[in-house]
Amino acid sequence: MTALLICSFAAPLLAATPVYKTDGPHARWWAIAAAAIALACSISSAASGMETYSAIPMLLFSSVALITFASAPPRDVQSPPLAGMLLIFGGTMAAYAAPSLTLYFAAWTITVAPFFSNCFQTLNPTPLWSRPRIALALGALLLGTAAILETTGTDGRWIFVLLMFAALVKKGAFPFHAWVSSAFESGPPQAPALLFNGHLGAFLIIRFAIPRYSEVAREALPWMAAIALFTAIYASFTAFAETKPRRILALLTVSQASFILAGIQNRNEAGITGALLHWIVVALASTGLVAAYRAIEVRYATVENPHGFLGLGARVPRLAVLFGMCGLALVGIPGTLGFLAEDLLFHGALQSNPWLGLALPVATACNAITILRLLSTLFLGRAPSAVSPVPDAFPRERWPLTAAVAALVVFGLLPSAPIALRAPAAAALAKILE
Amino acid sequence: MDTLFILEPLLTAIVVAPGVLFLAIATLWLLGWTPPERFIARTAAALYSAMAAAVVVLCVLMLRAGQDSLYVMHGAWFRVGEYSFPLLIFVDRLSLPLILLTVALVGITGSFSVRYLHRDVGFLRFFLLMHLFAFGALLVFTAGSYDLLLGGWELVGFTSVFLIGFFTGRREPVRNAIRVFATYRIADLGLMTAVFVLHHSAGSALYPTLFQGVWPAQTSALNTGAATLAGLLLLLGASGKSAQVPFSGWLPRAMEGPTPSSAIFYGAISVHIGAYLLLRSEPVLRQAPFAAAAVVLVGCATALLGTLAHRTSNDVKTSLAYAAMTQLGVIFMEIGFGFTWLALLHIVGHACVRTMQFLRAPSLLHDHHGLHAAAGGHLEPTGLHWEKLVPAPARAWLYRAGLERGFLDSLTDRFLIEPGLNLAWILLYFERPARPAESDPAPATRPATETR
Repeated sequence: MTALLICSFAAPLLAATPVYKTDGPHARWWAIAAAAIALACSISSAASGMETYSAIPMLLFSSVALITFASAPPRDVQSPPLAGMLLIFGGTMAAYAAPSLTLYFAAWTITVAPFFSNCFQTLNPTPLWSRPRIALALGALLLGTAAILETTGTDGRWIFVLLMFAALVKKGAFPFHAWVSSAFESGPPQAPALLFNGHLGAFLIIRFAIPRYSEVAREALPWMAAIALFTAIYASFTAFAETKPRRILALLTVSQASFILAGIQNRNEAGITGALLHWIVVALASTGLVAAYRAIEVRYATVENPHGFLGLGARVPRLAVLFGMCGLALVGIPGTLGFLAEDLLFHGALQSNPWLGLALPVATACNAITILRLLSTLFLGRAPSAVSPVPDAFPRERWPLTAAVAALVVFGLLPSAPIALRAPAAAALAKILE
Repeated sequence: MDTLFILEPLLTAIVVAPGVLFLAIATLWLLGWTPPERFIARTAAALYSAMAAAVVVLCVLMLRAGQDSLYVMHGAWFRVGEYSFPLLIFVDRLSLPLILLTVALVGITGSFSVRYLHRDVGFLRFFLLMHLFAFGALLVFTAGSYDLLLGGWELVGFTSVFLIGFFTGRREPVRNAIRVFATYRIADLGLMTAVFVLHHSAGSALYPTLFQGVWPAQTSALNTGAATLAGLLLLLGASGKSAQVPFSGWLPRAMEGPTPSSAIFYGAISVHIGAYLLLRSEPVLRQAPFAAAAVVLVGCATALLGTLAHRTSNDVKTSLAYAAMTQLGVIFMEIGFGFTWLALLHIVGHACVRTMQFLRAPSLLHDHHGLHAAAGGHLEPTGLHWEKLVPAPARAWLYRAGLERGFLDSLTDRFLIEPGLNLAWILLYFERPARPAESDPAPATRPATETR
């Protein structure tokens, strides 16, 4: 099994080198092959009884990476950005497989490294706290300090606090949320989406912080949940005023992902399973949203900062439906996995965290309004006569996005499989937090 | 036992059939196949004819077996630890007439739409949304718990909004769809919180656990405090869906959708779902006199506003919308007073009449000329004798209030939406000091020349 694990993160990391040197159509195939190998290794590892915390995130993330690489437009699978995305992919897989906090820190560093190189265009907006590089460096610094302190045998309370703040920074929790919108705003949006959808912050809490420092976790988790809940509502509310689709997508993702951290604090199996299923929903749905948006953005320059309704639905109806389905699944429309995850979070909250039970519908309602507003802005209304017709979803876009939507719907209608995959980890966490 | 063997799968098939058809056609379309109009029309006709026949068979068999209600438990949809989501569907004296009504009216409206929307670019979209709506509405009426009802309730809301924005080429329908959706979501918070309260106080949201006996003579074991809170929250949810004050502003905006969708949603089924929720929760209201009084007050205010606005409307669909709102207000009052059978009969009658009126709306002038000729060229406006009872200054003021729809929209804009958006701008300022609309140049209207 160790060989499989190594293979799952070595494949993308090794593929980054030829991709960096190779340009043209072959680069995409290198990336797809790496993602397929990682997916096969993840499935084999899960089947051979791999630890429950890591197996499903690895499987999910390789699927997300496969969808991203397959559906990306040609301009995003050129050497520097694709090599950067492969590093994020490989680093995240390595983080899932890391047995110690030190190795986890090393893998975490690999995931953020492309943002400090010339792989992606990175904005340096005016407020310092909006700069992705500062936030990512801060997260790595906090985690690195915790890893060092752990080796020196320092009081667990301090280590937990450092881990918690590292997780909050990475998850874009308030007041560290602004970096996510800035990261989404420039370069290919798939890269920050891939970094964000690794959910390494939540994984850090689940895999290392809670099992190792359970006593401190019981005291500190309510604070973390409160910050996460505030972030969920804050981001959903702020999105009302935002006009740029990329930033709206970032705020939606941050808001919905906050429920993962908040749900862990439920301390019961139903609530934590809801949080872990919500992880799957956020990863698949936001990947689909970003991929569909990017497919439209490269066709029409106007979508970057739309004024009024663009009416693109008549030109690209299938992309519009796929975008809409991913968005609605993200906010929990019935019949999708999102509804089920929110139902579990809601009922889990009944017993231990009523604030989550009240905040979840409020934030979800705001996010649903924002999704509909964005959908309307991009796809409804009358397209200007100057807008020339372009092809609807290409097969490379249609099939991966349909697969993502199908997964969200099929898992939503027949939830036994995803629940069986996530419930053991949730039960183990609930037992620790009892 | 033999009857049950037939009834249980029959009821399940009636509920899931439109959902299955929706999923099948939508998946095939996503994969690249666009079905022709004839196929869409024939599958819809076959489906709703078969469903109507099935509902009639269900009624007959239940009557012959002397059953007041039929519960079908499909086990747990999912189970995690101690929590499970039971898939319980059922029919009783309240839900059976509404199921029949839904199937019949959706079928009729579908049949009407085949010609009305012939060669419209949104033909397939309309029928897909209609199937999904039928599934959602049937789920609401047959749900055996508030949790399951919530699923159908949200589906009805989503389909409603997408049909309001059906004519995507114009801006107003799209803007109105967003506004209606926002109103729905705010009101739905009431229903969600009510479910939360019911779970918290009774430990379950299953009807058989919450209510004892046979509708309408059911009782509830909730204490007065919990019943009052749950009742008020349910009223909030129901008010949103049934266009009651203060949420009534969305109903005329919803008339932007195609006429068949206005008929089935805002004349027949969707607007009555809120009333159904209150009828289903009647034991809760009986336990909570304060909440029942609130239902009466809301209904009364809505009926008054509806009739005022109706008299100042100058287009047929808006006028019908306010007429429907008036009747819904009266239905709410009946529910609040505890006249459950009367309310049920009122819903069924009102839905049928209003569907007919909406579907005839495009032929209004033709009908009016026929009526005018039949009356010998002299048609009096209705309600003048009531107007004469009101003093002239008050009449002018009431006219203004009716014209402004009770000032509800302008009050909402001024005291809710504008401050909310300003606050969102202030919050956004801390991460992005410049407003994008002011700082960024206007984008080019030409498309990117290449799709790389």
